[in-house]
Amino acid sequence: MRKGFALLLAAVMTLTVACNSAPKNNASGSGSADDKKPIKIGVTIPQTGGDVDAGRLMKNGVELAVDTVNKAGGVLGRQIQLVIQDDQSTNPGSVAALQKILEDKDVVAVVSTVRSTQIAAQIPTINELKVPVAIGGTNFGLTQGQSPWVFRFRPHDGMSAKAMVKFVVEDLKKSKIALVHSTDAFGNGGRDMVVNALKDYNNTLIADQGFNTGEKDFTGVISALKQSGADVIISYIAASTDLGILAKQMKQQGLSLAWVGSPSITGQDALRLAGDALYGTYGVADFNKEANAKAKAFAEAYKAKYNQDPDFYSSWPYDAITVLTELMKTTPDLKPETLQKALLATKGLEGVEGTYTFDKNGDGLDSYHILQNENNAFKLVKTIHANAGK
Amino acid sequence: MNLAIFGQNLLAGVAIGGVYAMVALGIVLIYKATNVVNFAQGEFSMLGAFGLVTLTQAMHINYYVAIPLVLVIMAAFGLLFELGVYFPLRNRTFLPVIIATIGASIMFQNGALAVFGAAPQKVAPMVQGTATGGFTAGGVFFDYHYLVILAVTAVLMGFQYFFFEHTLLGKKMQATSQDKDMARLLGIPVASMIAITFIYSSLLGGLSGMLVAPIFFVTHRMGGTLGMKAFAASIIGGFGDVRGAIIGALSLGIIEALGAAFISPVYKDAYGFLIVILFLLVRPQGIFGEKVAEKA
Amino acid sequence: MQAKKGIPYKYFGLLLGAIAVGILPLLFDTRYATNLLILAAASGVSALGLTVLLGYTGQISMAQATFYGIGAYAVALGTTRYHTNWWVALAVGIMAAAMFGTFLGMATLKVGGRYLAMITIGTQIIFSLIMLNWIKFSGGPDGISGIKRPPFFFQVTTAHDYSWVALGLLFIVGAFVWWLRNTPLGRSMVAVRENELAAEAMGVNTVRTKVVAFVISAMLGAIGGAIYAAGFAYISPDTFSYDMSIQTLAATLLGGSDAVVGTVLGAGALTFLPELLRDFNSIYLVMYGFIIIVVIVFMPNGLWGFVDLAAKRLVKRPTMAKAETELQVGGQGQMGEELLVVTGLGKHFGGLKALDGVDFVVRRGELHALIGPNGSGKSTSINVISGIYVPTFGGVRFKGKEIGGKRPSKIAQGGMARTFQNLRLFRELTVWENVLIGSQKKGGSAAEVDDRARGAIEFVGMSGKAFERCKNLPYGHQKLVEIARQLAGEPELLLLDEPAAGLNQTEKQEMVHLLKRLHNAGLTMLLVEHDMSMVAQLSNTMTVLNFGKKISEGNPDHVLSDPAVVEAYLGNREVALNA
Repeated sequence: MRKGFALLLAAVMTLTVACNSAPKNNASGSGSADDKKPIKIGVTIPQTGGDVDAGRLMKNGVELAVDTVNKAGGVLGRQIQLVIQDDQSTNPGSVAALQKILEDKDVVAVVSTVRSTQIAAQIPTINELKVPVAIGGTNFGLTQGQSPWVFRFRPHDGMSAKAMVKFVVEDLKKSKIALVHSTDAFGNGGRDMVVNALKDYNNTLIADQGFNTGEKDFTGVISALKQSGADVIISYIAASTDLGILAKQMKQQGLSLAWVGSPSITGQDALRLAGDALYGTYGVADFNKEANAKAKAFAEAYKAKYNQDPDFYSSWPYDAITVLTELMKTTPDLKPETLQKALLATKGLEGVEGTYTFDKNGDGLDSYHILQNENNAFKLVKTIHANAGK
Repeated sequence: MNLAIFGQNLLAGVAIGGVYAMVALGIVLIYKATNVVNFAQGEFSMLGAFGLVTLTQAMHINYYVAIPLVLVIMAAFGLLFELGVYFPLRNRTFLPVIIATIGASIMFQNGALAVFGAAPQKVAPMVQGTATGGFTAGGVFFDYHYLVILAVTAVLMGFQYFFFEHTLLGKKMQATSQDKDMARLLGIPVASMIAITFIYSSLLGGLSGMLVAPIFFVTHRMGGTLGMKAFAASIIGGFGDVRGAIIGALSLGIIEALGAAFISPVYKDAYGFLIVILFLLVRPQGIFGEKVAEKA
Repeated sequence: MQAKKGIPYKYFGLLLGAIAVGILPLLFDTRYATNLLILAAASGVSALGLTVLLGYTGQISMAQATFYGIGAYAVALGTTRYHTNWWVALAVGIMAAAMFGTFLGMATLKVGGRYLAMITIGTQIIFSLIMLNWIKFSGGPDGISGIKRPPFFFQVTTAHDYSWVALGLLFIVGAFVWWLRNTPLGRSMVAVRENELAAEAMGVNTVRTKVVAFVISAMLGAIGGAIYAAGFAYISPDTFSYDMSIQTLAATLLGGSDAVVGTVLGAGALTFLPELLRDFNSIYLVMYGFIIIVVIVFMPNGLWGFVDLAAKRLVKRPTMAKAETELQVGGQGQMGEELLVVTGLGKHFGGLKALDGVDFVVRRGELHALIGPNGSGKSTSINVISGIYVPTFGGVRFKGKEIGGKRPSKIAQGGMARTFQNLRLFRELTVWENVLIGSQKKGGSAAEVDDRARGAIEFVGMSGKAFERCKNLPYGHQKLVEIARQLAGEPELLLLDEPAAGLNQTEKQEMVHLLKRLHNAGLTMLLVEHDMSMVAQLSNTMTVLNFGKKISEGNPDHVLSDPAVVEAYLGNREVALNA
């Protein structure tokens, strides 16, 4: 045993050497001294584990944006270089990924993920290392005073819930509302927001069905919906496989209610998996490829490169890169504080998701589109500006 | 309580139970032959499902030709698995083997992710050409696919019974699982019998994967839950008993479905395990019981 | 292992560990590396829990992440919602883990192996679901943020300062687990791992030992979780999942489950390995899985076992010191008094009447032989007397107290000892440790326990091989160890179940000689033996059983000429061959 600690020490020293021998570039790139060096932007996305599918689409988004920017000459002649690290779909993994990226002092900003839990895990590190981080997680609390460095490139769930409720009550004229949600940060957060939004109409949910991500059989949920007497369903479901199975089984078991879903219901994977089972449903979406000229161009370029239609998973990271690089063209330097200030000052900057105006919390968008699925194509029903922050 | 709704949930439970049963059969057969629990059994299903996706969608082979082809591939895979993971550890205790099978399952899951990608895949149902993939009777929707799964489970049960009780190979395998030393003395090639068990379990896994592919969709993570549930089913059924595994699996499916419908879907995964725990505390030998080892 | 003059250099390892704690944070000074260091420390502490449970005691748990989670939530809720001191919150977490561990352990440790695996898996999954859905308490999937770091002389705020605290805790826990191994409790745990039945027969309460191991493991899991929570300042339920339990288990096994250093190495490796493999992108987890298999296959005792084995080849084996006081053989008491009284004893297995109303008395100082043809109930008698079987009816009185149906460990502690027909040594342990476990049932100071063990090893003449592993000894020597470890507990009655079985002629004579010496020293023995010539040489009283009933009794001359005995053995080839 006494040899033990000696060997431990030796082993750990070896590891240390291994770690330290990794190339380390401490030259300060945040100044404007070196004009030809590429500008590095970090990306932490899931490439292994449960969320890889979302990770793949986000990667498409950032890479397409970087290609576009670089082809157009980069930022004042400097190319953009991505530093992508896997967040392993776990909290420790996402923290390690972020910290690994920020070992490289040349990284000026980071694009994180859509998974709110992993962003929450990163926030202590973000506050400590002080770098602007673009996020796609829509959990309301993420931007509420937790960190001055977090900037959301999508509208948050408070807004999506308001938009859905408003649409259900005012346009569809339904009042017996049932909610189906996954019991993760996204689904539970959405549930709270819907309950809140319903208060404005003095209404409550008549059924609230949660299920665990990865569920394969929804018969129990469907039975409860049938018995509740609901006339409309609102859903907060993140995983497209869950959504696909639910839609198919609802159709088979003869439950055909009006259905308004969170953005994933407009996602390409959900469409592919569920097929006709989602025809006629509504979804709130932050991305709509018909929304403006930029969105159209983005959708075409995306289709050309990846041979599929883009959805919100790819559009917000595309915007994050585009907005950041646009700002970099105007700022005097690339210091974190400078970029932070520039982001907070952003007003009316058009992206593919919408028009970005960041409020003091770091929320950049405040509108949702209500789309209807017509044979797997989407028709814009209306756009709802629902600033829940006020 | 609406009878149709009850029936619908019961049917769902039985069908999902049938799926668990097929995976559980593989676990139990390997357990009987080797005394170790194969935590990678669920991954066999996942690989079978991906096999079907690849053959039908990437290589455009006819669906009904692809199924036997996948089974052949899975048989080879089962043998490789035995040689690579079990054989080197055959003389060790059950723990290292369990960890090795867990290592293998991490490897297969992520190997599938690297090879087949992250996007979930859709597979055509086995009974094609209907709008909803089933029919409604008495207010209950019967998914053809669920019926296929139940039929296959039933056929497998029959086959298994026939195989173990009425064929020489089956009897040899049974002798091996009961007492390896004795089997060796009787001139039975024990190593080959164990290899055959792995091949057969891999086949079963592959088959179950192909059967659930159209209803669950195919992802690299689909095997994890399946394996766990099948493991729980094996425990309820008393491990080492084929009949027990099937009844354990069906009861687990039904408990989950009815629990989700009538208590809360949120704790669905817990009901099965709660039952298992209560079961073990009250009756550690399972439904049909495994001989409790004599002391001293 | 034993007190040495001069520098107590077994503490060198501790010193080196302490130095490592001091230096590592200086070497790993970037935020990223510091973070991994904290993570490794947290996993290391949790894995050390499994070292106690799995490595020492041989019980599996797949719920270590549950206890890790309990510790993490205690610190998280304590420092954010209830504003308690970090250390108080930690104490609450440890208590909670201990209580839950006790409950779970008491409820489940009677079943073993894969059932324990299943119950712990179930517990793990239910814990995850509860933390996810009991939002009022746990914060639900949103988790808890703003977790504070512990005050440690001053308020620790930076991650870098905190890494010292984390490593310090790892060091303390490591030292504790290392120390535990060579305490009576630690040795009892190893005895349970090696052979549960033998451990019980040697006075180890196996169920209690397992429960204690489970509780210690739970408490260490909670400490690990607390280190994690304070390190990352944010927790959410998906972290404390089944996957993490598996990873902790893998860390323990990979490193070498019964060695502290191994476990710490394993936890370190599993924390750093995926990070070092990051550049392989999507296939790094494939490699990770592959490496796990390779290590399990090629390094049966883990990374550390591999190193340790190589190191042991280089180190000269120590020799055992001489015993300072003479071993007491045979208890105090009046020679010839009734020590063991068996009255009307019966044991039925279903329809089989293995024992059917047997009476006999063993007097102090006697070498009493119990003989009879195969299946006559000899071994069953010993098993009932030593408590392994509960009698169906009848009584067993030892030193005037009724013991029938008591736990074997209880009976053993009362001064009875037994050997097993088919050896039940703790095969992976050294002779020294085997005997030490036997010695500790009698209690006393550590020095007394050690000295008794030395005395017993000397008595059977195994001093030269005291530090060999039992599995490497020839069979005859293993039999001697089996007796020595019983003698070390200074029993008043020794039950011997066919001590000569499997021995060659020379070894048999040695055994006869040893038993004679024991008899002369005043030890009372009850001998079950097939070899009639040996029995005739040794015993002064005999009881003959057939079909579960006593058919004759008395001195050898009387018994061997008893017609009933002759009849019972007639046609029995064994007697013809042996007599």
